[in-house]
Amino acid sequence: MELQAVLMAAGGGSRMMDLTYNTPKPLLPVGNKPLIWYPLNLLERVGFEEVIVITTKEVQKMISTDPKVKLDVKMKLDLVCIQEDADMGTADALRHIQQKVKTDVLVVSCDLITDAALHEVVDLFRAHNATLSMLMSKAHEFTETVPGQKGKKKTGEQRDFVGVDGTGKRLLFMANEADLDEGVVIRKSIMRKHPRMHIKTGLVDAHLYCLKKSVVDFLADNKSISSIRGELVPYLVRKQFSKSTNSPKVIDETHQNLKKNDSNISSRDEELLHLTQERSCWNDHRGDMSDAYHGGRLRCYVHIMDEGICYRVNTLAAYIEANRLAPKLFDEPAVHPSAVVSERCLIGADSIIGASCQISDKTSIKRSTIGVSTTVREKVKVTNSIIMHGVTIEEGCNIQGSVICSNAVIGRGADIKYCLVGSAQRIEPDAEVNITYHYKSITYNNCHKVSK
Amino acid sequence: MSSRGGKQKKGNVTSEQEEEEQPLQAVLVADSFNRRFFPISKDQPRALLPLGNVAMIDYTLEFLTSTGVQETFVFCCWMSNKIKDHLLKSKWCRPTSPNVVHIITSDLYRSLGDVLRDVDAKNLVRNDFILVYGDVVSNIDVSQALQEHRHRRKVDKNISVMTMVFKESSPGHKTRCEEDDVIVAMDSKSKRVLHYQKTQGLKKLQFPMNIFQHGSDEFEIRHDLLDCHISICSPQVAELFTDNFDYQTRNDFVRGILVNEEILGNQIHLYVTQDGYGARVSNLQMYDSVSLDMVRRWVYPLTPEANFTDQQGQGCTHSRHNVYRGAEVSLGHGSQMEENVLIGRDTSIGANCHISNSVIGNNCTIGDNVVLDRAHMWNNVHVSSNVEIHQSVVCDGAVVKEAVRLNKQCVLAYNVVIGPNLSLPEGTVVSMHHPEEEEEDDDDEFLSDDQEVGHSKDKTRQKAFNPAEVGPEGKGYIWKASMNDTEDEELAQCLWGLVLNPDPESDSESEASEESQDRSRSVSPEIDDVNAFQLEVLGTLQRGLEENIVCDNLVLEINSLKYAYNITLKEVMQILTRVVLEYPFQQQGTQLTTLQYTGSLLPLLKTWSPVFKNYIKRAQDHLDCLSAVEELFLEQDTHQTAMVKVLMKMYQLEILEEEAILKWFSTGATNDKSRQLRKNQGVRLGQICVWGKPSQNVKGYQFGHCGSLILLLQKETTLLIFSDGVQRKQTPCSQCHKKESCGMV
Repeated sequence: MELQAVLMAAGGGSRMMDLTYNTPKPLLPVGNKPLIWYPLNLLERVGFEEVIVITTKEVQKMISTDPKVKLDVKMKLDLVCIQEDADMGTADALRHIQQKVKTDVLVVSCDLITDAALHEVVDLFRAHNATLSMLMSKAHEFTETVPGQKGKKKTGEQRDFVGVDGTGKRLLFMANEADLDEGVVIRKSIMRKHPRMHIKTGLVDAHLYCLKKSVVDFLADNKSISSIRGELVPYLVRKQFSKSTNSPKVIDETHQNLKKNDSNISSRDEELLHLTQERSCWNDHRGDMSDAYHGGRLRCYVHIMDEGICYRVNTLAAYIEANRLAPKLFDEPAVHPSAVVSERCLIGADSIIGASCQISDKTSIKRSTIGVSTTVREKVKVTNSIIMHGVTIEEGCNIQGSVICSNAVIGRGADIKYCLVGSAQRIEPDAEVNITYHYKSITYNNCHKVSK
Repeated sequence: MSSRGGKQKKGNVTSEQEEEEQPLQAVLVADSFNRRFFPISKDQPRALLPLGNVAMIDYTLEFLTSTGVQETFVFCCWMSNKIKDHLLKSKWCRPTSPNVVHIITSDLYRSLGDVLRDVDAKNLVRNDFILVYGDVVSNIDVSQALQEHRHRRKVDKNISVMTMVFKESSPGHKTRCEEDDVIVAMDSKSKRVLHYQKTQGLKKLQFPMNIFQHGSDEFEIRHDLLDCHISICSPQVAELFTDNFDYQTRNDFVRGILVNEEILGNQIHLYVTQDGYGARVSNLQMYDSVSLDMVRRWVYPLTPEANFTDQQGQGCTHSRHNVYRGAEVSLGHGSQMEENVLIGRDTSIGANCHISNSVIGNNCTIGDNVVLDRAHMWNNVHVSSNVEIHQSVVCDGAVVKEAVRLNKQCVLAYNVVIGPNLSLPEGTVVSMHHPEEEEEDDDDEFLSDDQEVGHSKDKTRQKAFNPAEVGPEGKGYIWKASMNDTEDEELAQCLWGLVLNPDPESDSESEASEESQDRSRSVSPEIDDVNAFQLEVLGTLQRGLEENIVCDNLVLEINSLKYAYNITLKEVMQILTRVVLEYPFQQQGTQLTTLQYTGSLLPLLKTWSPVFKNYIKRAQDHLDCLSAVEELFLEQDTHQTAMVKVLMKMYQLEILEEEAILKWFSTGATNDKSRQLRKNQGVRLGQICVWGKPSQNVKGYQFGHCGSLILLLQKETTLLIFSDGVQRKQTPCSQCHKKESCGMV
């Protein structure tokens, strides 16, 4: 076993609370499949047979009991639950399962939807005997209008600055705009080793990492690091260029760990590898006569996708976008065989109808997803919308650009545009709702009504 | 706005047509405006120095001509007559020359800025022009860069004012010199320069955030560029120099444009060539590498045998291993020319010589058994037998006598005679000009005098040559770059320039400390101020000693520093005390013995006692000063025995009062260590005070080497007080049992 897969599925989805209020993020339906299915499927496609899934009790319970969230994977899932309220970061979670980690790990986030060729990332990891290799992608513009938002949302988020070398693979620099008050500061010695540095700002981190086992051990020793993306990765990137080989003074725990490990299993391999590197005339750079990698033993690499789908479903906008694109990722009939669809209705090819749905006459469904056990009555128009499970839509409704959460009931003749209707909500008949949130069943109706 | 746009458009149309017709112009600045090549350039302007036996300006003109320039303005200042003569004789001024050369001389040029302001005033350029120095050697075809530049100007409505030409070469490349190393941040797509900085002496490179806010999401930071000092400029460049009279160099200009990009809307772009060659001979280091590159044919088609200057007798033959021989070269028996050797016409070489990587000029004679490696000999040089020359420059008319050895980076300027039997140490520069003569030249603006004022003075005031420096038959003075001219930074640098030594070790060593520094800084930023203040005080005192500054002025300086760093009076006193007491360690290292320490400290205390007195006035001040003394000696626990002497001295100099010492001694023991200190020193301190009070009893005092205090009592008796408090009369020191060594009287 070369790599162990670890799936991080304990996140609360804090950036899309409206959706995750009733459904935990890993189980949100995307294209009528739970979100967690996508990374699992990605791993299964490349041949993993076992995955460690770090998740919460709630999710575990729902996976085992709820028939609607059928995972439909053949891999062996090793579910590890962590406490929800402990506020554990991804690095904390990795530390939590340190005992289970026997080899290098591939860490994936549960909200990743991608068609990336995973072997690209792993190959970088293998070829350079890297400490870390990760996946990034060019950022996508979200085209769809997001419910509850008037106009385009300004990209107030701060950019990540990612510096790669001339080949575009070696990761040299990483910082968030927020931390760069004094501008981008780069040591000259780095520039001397890598005289061409590309600084890219329009990238999304896919949160997919290959990490050496020693890094996991390092985490176990360093309890202060709690997030992989926020702390561990920047630390590793920075440590690449600190003096590591000659001076014992520099606290380079990772290497101490490497040495520790060497004595256990892989010492012979490491030595051999080292010898090969020494004897080989191969070099990763040109222009000077120093050793390959300039003698550095900590190396970080990144694979940047130029094209293809790569989304992290962590905002509402991303969720809608993912739903629109999800059908392209798998070949399944758009209309589930168990759905009862009337002959006299119009269903676009870009729509998905879930299992045991009932779609009545004179209904038109375009560019939309209809969840499991949803009932759609006569003369309903659904465009650009996501309807989750168990929703009932009464006669003559018009739903456009909206998200309707599970078990909601839309009253007769309602006109809903760019709205988010929360779980088990009831929309009164003939209501006309525009650009509003309808959620939280406690406050029954905080909608903003406009009567004609 | 619209009318203006229309006007511009109209102008563009006409200029487009004109562009086709108008000849490409170039501005060649045949002056470096610095003294890097002194003393060589005292006799010959830099542009005329031979490189591969051809004057450097000829390479520049050849480069311009081959790239399609039809009209060149040559601006000269220093020794303009010589340059003019040279050019008038050269092929550039023949009627058949495709490149019309105009020579413009003025004594008033002080910088590149002056030249370009003059270009603007005289309205010389009408279109995009190429700006180069007279010491650029290049074979780059800039027509593509020119095309890109014109295209950008057409598309962006004259926003781009300059395109700089760079050659790609990785760090550590030998034609890159540390001084000229640049780092460039650029927009990957538009090739726009966002940040341009010289990296000499920098450890960290800082890029302001605003350069990353230009909408593009891909930037490139490049450290693999060699600045060729070739720029394609729009006519606006000259205007901009006129508008901004503080722009002196191209560096000023580039930085000014980049900083004011948002205000003025001007941009600078770059063009990177991969296979061309371009370098500026900015110091001897570069001269050495460019000369060798030339011989190794990197600047093809500008090769030595091409004789592109088209002068009679300059031709030479090219044989393998890049050995070039001019006409009438004679080579003695057994002499070897290994590789990369260029020998000018009428040069004769003796037997059993060993020559590699060298250029030898015309009419030279070289004796037997001579070893030349990376030697650059100009014309009419005479080298006797058994000479060894390594990586050195020997100028016209120099004579090297028997058995002389020139180590690396030596320079023999014009007409110098060296030897016999001498070995010049590395980096020696010998010139017929006396170093002091230069200072005299300073008075009459050196840049403007092409009258060679020096010569007449030289004759009137001929000084004797030092045979130890230049050998028994030698003629010449060792040249030392004068350091007194602080405004001219270039002077302080040596002729050869700094060697690019890739030592990443030293860089990364600082990493650990850097991080720890970062940490401490983030915790308490004010400590930094205090530290900085302490350093400044130290510097002030040091200077005071060296330059014999009056204590009153020192006080003034420290006072102004106090305000600059916002330091309280109490801290001033503590820091001052600390700095003074640590001064011997600072100067002589920490391995001082206690005796040495007190020996060097006590005179210092005396010198600076007015400074102390100025700050220590109130009773509290005395106590603060004492606590600072205590603190220091607690740290330097090996030197604790010196404390009593220091206190004694301060008491004697009336810096500290007796009451204060007593008070300090009786109170204030805050921890074990200081209690211990008091216990050790206390006895003696007590005794000082005892001695101080009934002073009618005591004539004098002395210290024994084992730390005992010897009091000379009135009645011709001696009282010995030991550190354990034991008092003995007229007894030798119990610890060493030697009367003399205790310094007893």
